[in-house]
Amino acid sequence: MVKSLTAIGVAFLLLFGAAMFEWYFVNSQFNAFGEELYTLYQKADDETANGEDAKAVQASWENRKEKLHVWIPHNDISRVDDYMSETVRLIAEKNYGLALSKLEILIHLTKCLPDTYKPALENIF
Amino acid sequence: MNKTINMVLVMIRTAVIFVVLLIIMRLMGKRQIGEMQPFELVITLLIAELACIPMADASIPLLYGIISVVTIYVLHEIMTLLDLKVKPWKSFISGKPSVVINKNGIDDYQLKRNNLDVSDLIESLRSAGYFSLDCVDYALYEANGTFSALPKQDYEQMQNSLPLVIIDNGKYDEKNLELTGLSRTFFDEILRNRKVQNVKRVLVLTADGNGKLYLQVKGKKFETLQVEYPAHKVW
Repeated sequence: MVKSLTAIGVAFLLLFGAAMFEWYFVNSQFNAFGEELYTLYQKADDETANGEDAKAVQASWENRKEKLHVWIPHNDISRVDDYMSETVRLIAEKNYGLALSKLEILIHLTKCLPDTYKPALENIF
Repeated sequence: MNKTINMVLVMIRTAVIFVVLLIIMRLMGKRQIGEMQPFELVITLLIAELACIPMADASIPLLYGIISVVTIYVLHEIMTLLDLKVKPWKSFISGKPSVVINKNGIDDYQLKRNNLDVSDLIESLRSAGYFSLDCVDYALYEANGTFSALPKQDYEQMQNSLPLVIIDNGKYDEKNLELTGLSRTFFDEILRNRKVQNVKRVLVLTADGNGKLYLQVKGKKFETLQVEYPAHKVW
C-alpha cells in the first residue's frame, strides 16, 4: 500500500511539475513573441519597418519554435511559420498593407493558439 | 497571461476515455474480458494506442504519448488500490462472479446478464473438461471472465458419450439432429410426454449416444431422462 501510494504521489508530482513548467514556458514564449510581433506591427503601420526588422523577428521565432516543438502540436507551429515567411517577404517589398493583415493574423495566433490547449470543456470533448 | 496547460488537457482527455472504456467493458459482460479485470483490459487497450499515435504521427509531440501513458499508470495504481481496499468499489468496477449452473440447472438470467448463451456455456464446460451439463453441481464465470466448475463426485462415469445440443434456446439445432440421425418428431414426442407443448419453452435439450437426455425448460429445474432411440441407435 505504501509503495502504491508513493508511486501515485511521485507520478502525480512529476505530471504536476511538468504541467506547471509547460504552462510557464509556453505562455512566456508566446507572450514574448507576441510583443515582438506587436513592435513590428507598429513599425509596419508607420511604414518604417524594413526587411531586417522582419528577419530579426523571424529568427527569434525560429529560435523559440525549436523548444516549442516539444510542447505543442507541430501543425500549429507550421501555421505561424507560413504567416511569418509571408510577412518577411511583404515587408521587404514594402507592401505594408498586406503585411499588416498578416501580422494581425500572427498576433491573433499567439493569443488563440495557447487557448486551444487550456483544459476547458470545448477542448476536452 | 494565457492559460496554457496542454498537459492537463491531455491528462483529462486520457482519464475521460479511460472511464468511458471501463463502463463499456463492464456493460459488455464477461464474454469480452477473458482473464483480465475490466480495468486491466481497458489499460491494455489504451496503452498500445497511446504509445503508438505520437510515435507514428510526427505532428504530435512525443511528450503527449508519454504524459498519457504516465496518466494511465497513475489511474491503474489508484484503481488497484481501490480494488484492494474498498469492497463495494471492487464489485462495482470489476463485477461479481456469476453462478450460471446451480442445483436447479442453468441460470438463464445470469447468462443473459453476461451476454452469453447456452452454447457459450457448453463450450466453457467442454474447455474445462466437462462434457455433460449434469456432471457439474455448480459452474460460474469469475469477475475476470474465467470459468470455474464444481463437478459431481462420480462425474467421470457420467461422461461416456458426447452429448449433442438438440434444442438451444427454443430452436432445434438441425446439424446436430442430422448427426444423431433422429427426427424432430422423436424429440417432440418426448417433450409432449414431459408436458412441454411448445419447443420455444425449452432452454436446452441435449442427447448423448447412450440415450441420456438433459432437458431444462425455461424457468424450471432441469431433468435427466433415459430413453431408447429408435432402432437402438447409438453414437
